[in-house]
Amino acid sequence: MPPQDPKAPAAPGRPGHSRRDFLRGSGLAAAGVALAGSAESALHEAGADVVQTEGVAIYSGSCPIELKVNGEAMSVTVEPRSTLLDTLRNRLDVTGPKRVCDRASCGACTVILDGEAVYSCTTLAISCTGHEVRTLESFETGEGSVPHAFHQNDGLMCGYCTPGFVTACQAWLERNPGQEPTLDDIKQGLDGNICRCGTYIGVFQAALDAAKAMKNGRS
Amino acid sequence: MASWPDSTRVIGAAVPRLDGLAKASGRAKYPSDERPDGVLFAAILHSPHAHAKITKIDTSKAEAIPGVKAVHLIAEEGATVRYHGEEIAAVAAESEEIARDGCRAIAIEFEVLPHAVTEEQALSDNAPRLTPRGNTQEGRAQQDGDPDAALAEAAATVEGHYSLPVITHVCLETHGQVVRWDGPDRMTVWASTQNVDGVESEMAGAFEIPATNVTVLTPVMGGGFGSKFGADTWGVAAGQLAKKTGRPVWLFLDRIQEHLTAGNRPSASAKIKIGADKSGKITAMIAETQGTGGISRGAAFPLPYVYEVPNSRRQHTDVRINGGNARAMRAPGHPQGCAMMEFAVDDLAEALGMDPLQVRLNSLAEQDTVPSGDGQPINRSEIYRAQIELGRKAIGWDQRKSRAENAKAQGPLKRGFGMALHQWGGGGRDDKQVTCIINPDGSVELRSATQDIGTGCRTILAQIAAEVLGLEPTAISSNIGNSQFPPGQASGGSTTTPSMAPPAYNAALKAREQLFRRIAGALDAEPGDLEARGGVILVKGEREVPWKEACRKLGTMPVSVTEGFLEGLTAQGVGGCQFVDLTVDVETGVVRLNKIVAVQDTGLILNMLTWKSQVYGGVIMGLNYGLFEELVMDPTTGLALNPDMELYKLAGASDIPEIEIIPFDNEQMRKRGVIGVGEPPTIATAAAIGNAVANALGTRVPAFPMSPWNVLNALAKA
Repeated sequence: MPPQDPKAPAAPGRPGHSRRDFLRGSGLAAAGVALAGSAESALHEAGADVVQTEGVAIYSGSCPIELKVNGEAMSVTVEPRSTLLDTLRNRLDVTGPKRVCDRASCGACTVILDGEAVYSCTTLAISCTGHEVRTLESFETGEGSVPHAFHQNDGLMCGYCTPGFVTACQAWLERNPGQEPTLDDIKQGLDGNICRCGTYIGVFQAALDAAKAMKNGRS
Repeated sequence: MASWPDSTRVIGAAVPRLDGLAKASGRAKYPSDERPDGVLFAAILHSPHAHAKITKIDTSKAEAIPGVKAVHLIAEEGATVRYHGEEIAAVAAESEEIARDGCRAIAIEFEVLPHAVTEEQALSDNAPRLTPRGNTQEGRAQQDGDPDAALAEAAATVEGHYSLPVITHVCLETHGQVVRWDGPDRMTVWASTQNVDGVESEMAGAFEIPATNVTVLTPVMGGGFGSKFGADTWGVAAGQLAKKTGRPVWLFLDRIQEHLTAGNRPSASAKIKIGADKSGKITAMIAETQGTGGISRGAAFPLPYVYEVPNSRRQHTDVRINGGNARAMRAPGHPQGCAMMEFAVDDLAEALGMDPLQVRLNSLAEQDTVPSGDGQPINRSEIYRAQIELGRKAIGWDQRKSRAENAKAQGPLKRGFGMALHQWGGGGRDDKQVTCIINPDGSVELRSATQDIGTGCRTILAQIAAEVLGLEPTAISSNIGNSQFPPGQASGGSTTTPSMAPPAYNAALKAREQLFRRIAGALDAEPGDLEARGGVILVKGEREVPWKEACRKLGTMPVSVTEGFLEGLTAQGVGGCQFVDLTVDVETGVVRLNKIVAVQDTGLILNMLTWKSQVYGGVIMGLNYGLFEELVMDPTTGLALNPDMELYKLAGASDIPEIEIIPFDNEQMRKRGVIGVGEPPTIATAAAIGNAVANALGTRVPAFPMSPWNVLNALAKA
């Protein structure tokens, strides 16, 4: 089973111009060099207003975009710099994913983008048009589901990291259907997430139980 | 005196938390998730300097940005900012992105002042004077017996110098709130707080409106650990911005600000000289201790700790630095006192050539009396002895080799064992209340102005009512986190559950009594003929009336009773011990934990599932303290170097070893009544890890965390 690393850079052809790419681009722009590469093309795709000031391209203003979130087409106006996370939380009232580190360290913002777990705090909203965003609000919650396993095993305390763990777990199970992971597989699969209350023991058991339930066809 | 029922159905069971599925499915609305109609987003501008005078603030450019709706100054011109991250201004705008632009557009001129961001800098001769009273404050001197004479007579003495860094709470939901004015003198505040009542009174005071007109709501919240008791400057700023704009304002700190201005656990260091007699019992200790709690708070910690030290002297100095203020953090002072004491005890055992476990047993007080709800005081030393025996077996202490043997072992991987003891209070307050409502449709509601900070308090209150009313916990609506409800306990000091469980029990008992009185006639019975169990009202031991049907006999008037404390249901004063088995790679300095054992007593355990989660969580927080955490200040620039979650290290899934939790749970413990468990299990972990590292290496790593840097430095000096 391949380890899942949400920190890995986007593979060629994968959606998601990361904010890191974009910030790198912005820094260059500020230095008077044209914004280049994927971030620039994303801006144009999104139809962002471009203001030229003394030869420096400043991308600002608003762009109306269409996002598909949890199967629903949503129209929203964002800025080119708006992250997917802030767009979901602040503009679309999809508040399941949480903002914690805001820098791709902790995983609380994890969403599933075209089947892959990504950190939405470092994914630009404008790069997600035409792609499918799923958040944990769309997951099944009955017996055999990932949220149910977290609940039953007390894999949460304050619960603020929980959306990220649940989503990472769900994405992992979808990518590895029918497998029965070991504890080490689970630890590796969830290593992109941080919990401060220290609920890891319950989280591990929840992930193992959910995998078992999935294998037995209960979700 | 009241007592808990002898045999219970729901109390003590492993009951999944009532709000667990809402949290695990993203449906639970945290304060930071609230978006009332018309909400504006606000951001804080913080000081980029460790120490500076603000000579000029110009907000005009910020105010001119389209979408910026209001600017509120927290610090005025002429004010001095005293640490990197101190709040200066807040900006409310149509979007968070614009609010941050607004912060950046505020033009501030600073006169940068000399700084001292480490204890060493603050104590140096040319340090800037940070407070009118100077940079240090002496603690109250402690003296017991004659430590100098006792040390001179000791069979063995040892001197050590140990230290722990400043760490921060790292609440995953940052500090903040949403404020909405509902009229000229009325507001609703969705606050991420451990204290809805406290935020209510602070906001009422700040805006000079009646406390009764302030509703603070905290249905769930994302972690506090001692740092979220007040309204804070940002709460007041959000209220001001909401007032200026006439719109609700969302204001939560960003991650940098959370690290720098929202509290920290003070550092601690100690020079300790300790001695024992030839039987291996501690006889004397002299300690000089120090710590910093930032610019204005203290860094006190208990020492001596746990063990009986008949002759001791201690001098403590608090050092002020240009750093954010300390706030209570999960067992304030105890993890520091525990680590300093337990390091010294372990090193003393080494000097005596004895098993450190034996020195601990020898040094427990003969009598360490702690109260019990049933009025039969308990000797905590006996609890420790029994716990140590359980822990010793569970960790496999007999495999432990001496430091000398381990130092001689071949290969780069060295295995070590360590242990430590801790203590905590955890009793309840007697001035809190719970309302229990039984509606004619059979629904049951509990109300109190306490809050569930992730401990499971909401579920525990429901379990208690369910036990009394013969229902399932899921049938009880446990409505807390609302300051308009009867006064509830702030979540600090492991006091929430012991403060709230007795009034919940009391209210449920009285509500049941009233229910029976009011429906008995309609059921052709006397109140004394009725019992509530298994979801029915049992009449004269034979006829079963379903709960809902029985409640309908109430007519239109619900039963509603508000009750307070009952004597005899709680106690305080717990002990615990933890054991660690780990491996250190002496080439890389990396410490890998193999296993941790935690033995803990907390009287009557109300929910075994959430109780274990608390203990696991405490151990894992202690593991972070022992291995990873440190807020690093740069002496040159005066700035914090790692206010993030990348270089400020916390354990991830792969860092978690096997953890065995042993509840010290027996008839005598259950009779003690309820005692809080939030804090005790986080105290001893770091100390036990440090001792296991010393055992593995054959030399003491004196500075926490047990990072490769500190491990390799200690090895280089050994």
